[in-house]
Amino acid sequence: MSIDLAGLTRQLELLRDEILAAAAAAPDLASLERLQIDVLGRKGRLTAVLRGIGSLPADDRPKVGAVANAVRAAIEAAVAERREALRAEAIATRIASERVDVTLPGRPVPRGSRHPIPETIAAIAEVFGQFGFVVYEGPEVETDVHNFQMLNIPLDHPARDLWDTLYVDLDGYLLRTHTSPGQIRVMARERPPIRALLPGRCFRYEAVDASHGFEFFQVEGLMIDEGTSMADLRGLLDEFAGALFGAGRATRFRPGYYPFTEPSVAFDVRCVVCDGAGCPACSRTGWMTILGAGMVHPVVLQYGGLDPERYQGFAFGMGVERIANLRHAVADLRYYLENDLRFLEQFR
Amino acid sequence: MRVPLSWLADYVDLDLTPEALADRLTLLGMEVKAIERWGSDWRSVVVGELVAVDPHPNSERLSLARVNVGDGTLREIVCGATNIATGQRVPVALPGAVLPGGRRIERAEKLGVVSDGMLCSGDELRLTTDAEGILILPADAPIGRPLADLFGDVVLDVDVKPNRGDALSLVGLAREVAAVTGARVRLPRAEVAEEGPPVEERLRVEIEEPGLCPRFVGRWVDGVRVGPSPDRVQMRLLAAGMRPVSNVVDASNYVMLELGKPIHTFDAAAVEGGRIVVRRARPGETLETLDHEERILDPETLLIADPRGPLAIAGVMGGAASEVSEATRSVIIESAIFDPVSIRRTAFRYALRSEASLRFEKGQEFGLAPLGADRTAHLIVAWAGGTVARGRVDTNPREPEPVRIPFRPARVNRLLGTALSGAEQRELLARVGVETEPARGEVRVPVARGERPHDVVAAGEEAIVAVAPPWRRDLAIEADIAEEIARIRGYERIGGTRPDTPMPAYRRSPLGVRDAVRTALVGAGLAEVVTHALVAPEELEAYRLRRPVPSLDDPEPVATPIRVTNPLSSLHSVLRQTLLPSLTGVVLLNLRRGRPGVAIFEIGKGYGRGPEGPVEWWRLGIALAGAATPPSPLLPRRSFDLDDAKGLVEHVAAALGFAEPRFTAEADEPLFHPGRTARLEARLAADAAAIGLVGIVGELHPARLEALEIRDRLVLAELAVRGLGEGWLEPPKVAAPPRHPTVERDLAVVVGETVPAARVAETIRSSAGPLLRRLQLFDVYRGAPLGEGERSLAYRLTFWAEGRTLTEEEVEAVVAAVTGALEREVGGRLRS
Ligand SMILES: [Zn+2]
Repeated sequence: MSIDLAGLTRQLELLRDEILAAAAAAPDLASLERLQIDVLGRKGRLTAVLRGIGSLPADDRPKVGAVANAVRAAIEAAVAERREALRAEAIATRIASERVDVTLPGRPVPRGSRHPIPETIAAIAEVFGQFGFVVYEGPEVETDVHNFQMLNIPLDHPARDLWDTLYVDLDGYLLRTHTSPGQIRVMARERPPIRALLPGRCFRYEAVDASHGFEFFQVEGLMIDEGTSMADLRGLLDEFAGALFGAGRATRFRPGYYPFTEPSVAFDVRCVVCDGAGCPACSRTGWMTILGAGMVHPVVLQYGGLDPERYQGFAFGMGVERIANLRHAVADLRYYLENDLRFLEQFR
Repeated sequence: MRVPLSWLADYVDLDLTPEALADRLTLLGMEVKAIERWGSDWRSVVVGELVAVDPHPNSERLSLARVNVGDGTLREIVCGATNIATGQRVPVALPGAVLPGGRRIERAEKLGVVSDGMLCSGDELRLTTDAEGILILPADAPIGRPLADLFGDVVLDVDVKPNRGDALSLVGLAREVAAVTGARVRLPRAEVAEEGPPVEERLRVEIEEPGLCPRFVGRWVDGVRVGPSPDRVQMRLLAAGMRPVSNVVDASNYVMLELGKPIHTFDAAAVEGGRIVVRRARPGETLETLDHEERILDPETLLIADPRGPLAIAGVMGGAASEVSEATRSVIIESAIFDPVSIRRTAFRYALRSEASLRFEKGQEFGLAPLGADRTAHLIVAWAGGTVARGRVDTNPREPEPVRIPFRPARVNRLLGTALSGAEQRELLARVGVETEPARGEVRVPVARGERPHDVVAAGEEAIVAVAPPWRRDLAIEADIAEEIARIRGYERIGGTRPDTPMPAYRRSPLGVRDAVRTALVGAGLAEVVTHALVAPEELEAYRLRRPVPSLDDPEPVATPIRVTNPLSSLHSVLRQTLLPSLTGVVLLNLRRGRPGVAIFEIGKGYGRGPEGPVEWWRLGIALAGAATPPSPLLPRRSFDLDDAKGLVEHVAAALGFAEPRFTAEADEPLFHPGRTARLEARLAADAAAIGLVGIVGELHPARLEALEIRDRLVLAELAVRGLGEGWLEPPKVAAPPRHPTVERDLAVVVGETVPAARVAETIRSSAGPLLRRLQLFDVYRGAPLGEGERSLAYRLTFWAEGRTLTEEEVEAVVAAVTGALEREVGGRLRS
């Protein structure tokens, strides 16, 4: 049977109409895909119809080609339109089905906490680190020689009353009562200029209450050079107080006493609770002592192997718990070693 | 030291409010710890006049007083004391009054008569120690005046530092006040009417140990009448924190507080022949001290003795036999100087530290010996009557030369960071009684004293000689003079400068590895804890490992613990050797306080007693117990177990750049669950020969869990970590990501239950060779179709080659080699 131009064109139009209707009715993307392949694929129905083109005169072939292209375009457009519609429908369905109560809490992420003692030590080290102070550490089971004698506190010296000491069953040793023996150890291994920071655990024979413990932490500082003066000490401590408690906080420099410094200093900041008005936290003085300091005693410089005429400098020591109390508004230092997680988990 | 201001005013004019005075003293280094209002707890206690004293109508022992308190009425007050009489003025507690100790006074009926208040004894007001009689006030005490106006006082609690023994006295503190106010100091009157025989006829003193007793001044008083001190004296002593005893004893205590000179008084009748010997104790000697303790005397002890034997422990405590009592008629006054070190040792030896020994051990001004003796004699005569023998016994009347301390004003300025002229410095020193002289000739400036005295010749520099007043025994070197200059001028006037001297060389922080571990574990949800280093000995033993975790770069742990010889409590009497007991304690505390889950870690030290002294080593401890997840609809509920701890150990190892830890079973530690405990070890990623982390991780033995009443599990780990002590982390050396495709193969290996997974993994690794880049276990399966006692371990193997694409044949060859090795070495087969 021979097919003429009109017949072929008619077939193409019929095919078009059928497929346009089918596409519009396709229930889902898969059937739409199948339909498209069925018609437009390499072995599809459109190709099958066009196979008849070979029997047409050469002049007619381009005409059929034009019709075929129009039919193809119409089908493709219809499929695309239907595809878009189906996609939009699917997304709308998905959105509807996936709706959640966004006010529910999220999936918990495990969250730990840093202990305030090492954290406060780190904060102190950060401040002094900006001024060139580097961290050292010394032993906690110390010799009497380092803990006392080389710090200008001979045996049977009344100043020993300042430190109630825990002794151990090792001749000549004790549990260090302060971080100050580190001064001697640093001087013994470094030449000036020295800027050292010595944090660590200390021990005293002391009944436990809200402001005392038999174990506690200190940070010692030591700066030695040829011209390091008491004015430098004041300047540095003011920087420290400003860094920790705000730049505007007033400070006070007054005489103190330590056998290993001369002159000795007590350093106060305006009470962070009452701001100077007077309250129980500051014994109504309006001031809080945050550290002890002074110019390193010539005898201590000697024990450190330095010429006390050529070198001079200062040392300071502070209680870590005391600083932590002030930073975090804690009133009782027993919390630090008790480790109730309801207390600790507040530190981030 | 407690300082009643009304008493201090005897020696110096006080023109400041108590608060201002306290502030000035604090800024001078005499820190005022507290300002106490003495008498502030007498409320509604006023002066009353006894208009009439009649017997109580219904009692023979009580009186009925009619009292005028100046309010226009006469009050009837019932009183039990017998020392009252018409016309006296007495303290009256009106109804509503509150006495010290919180005692409230109300109108009350006493045997049929309503008592409209109470007459007070000195003891009830804590003014004197007399509890028997009513306190009789001076005849001119204004009627109706609150007692607090008359006898109230302000007491400063001054923290006198150990180097300033001279300021442990009212006169000493008066000098400090004078230094700031410019007022003059008035010394107490010490003139003695010597109407008795020459003292030599009564008293002889022999010093056998002049090194330990460089000066002894004695006086003798006959005919004293021992009784209570005047009320005013008792009030002062009580306000200063000292209990009145008797007029003679109070006189010596009064002088100690006033001058800082401890004085001892003996009943002269108890001193054989009036002969005193100052000597060391002899072996076997004993003495009953004032506290009625019979003490065996150590031969080091310095004694005051008579020819028969010991009378007192010199400077520390008197003997009971020679104590001044009501029967005493003649008194020997001892005002001596003792060697400070000897006194301190003796006071510690007998645990008898007293106000007296405290002052002796700080050293005493030589000239206080005669002054103290005279002043005591003066007060005894005034309060107890009697006749003082003529002259004093004085074993060493020669006053020592004053201490001269040359100093350089320029060096003082260099130390303080000031620019004070020599003249300014001299003027400041003069205000604390430090005289100055110009330096003549070659002057040696004392820079250091002690074991190695160090002097510097002041050449071509201005030098000044400071002459220390005899009471300032703390001034010895140039730096001491600098401190005085700064102190008197005011520390506040030292301006703050930022140091501009050379910087030290860079040094790595020893905290680096600790910080990295903390960051890793806090990030993984653990809470960091810090626990006591001192633990109970039983805990130490209960948590001792048979095979302790070895150290990596710290000293090796030592099993012998270090014990505290003077512990506060046995609970904290030995230094720990592992973190495990403390961590268990924290877990228990938190579980008992209702916390559902605990996940904690600590970085701390272990301590031991090595052959060459103490040894300290750093450890990381981890403890997990209870709920592993917070309550949430989004998380399955489960409890912590061994796998959590192992995961954390792997996490730490990865965070520090170590290779994956290898676990091996540990069934031989009684502390731990024998089936759920592992030893572990992780090598450095960069150097497989070096260990980065080693330790033990496991669940506590079920029997111990029961004993501790822990319901499910307690997982513990203790690890030695390289660099924890003072290390740092080498930054990781990394490789570029593979540019050619990676190939993955999943292998399910069926092995017997008893074959450890670590052996299977090791077999795969070693047989696969270098192309195997990653090995991950992703499933464990038991059950059909596997046989009884079998399990399947499913691994994902990831391969890649540097610079080329792997061929199928290469990968197949590796898989074949692995399969063969598994069959040979662990009896495994592949599950298809
Ligand atoms: Zn305050």
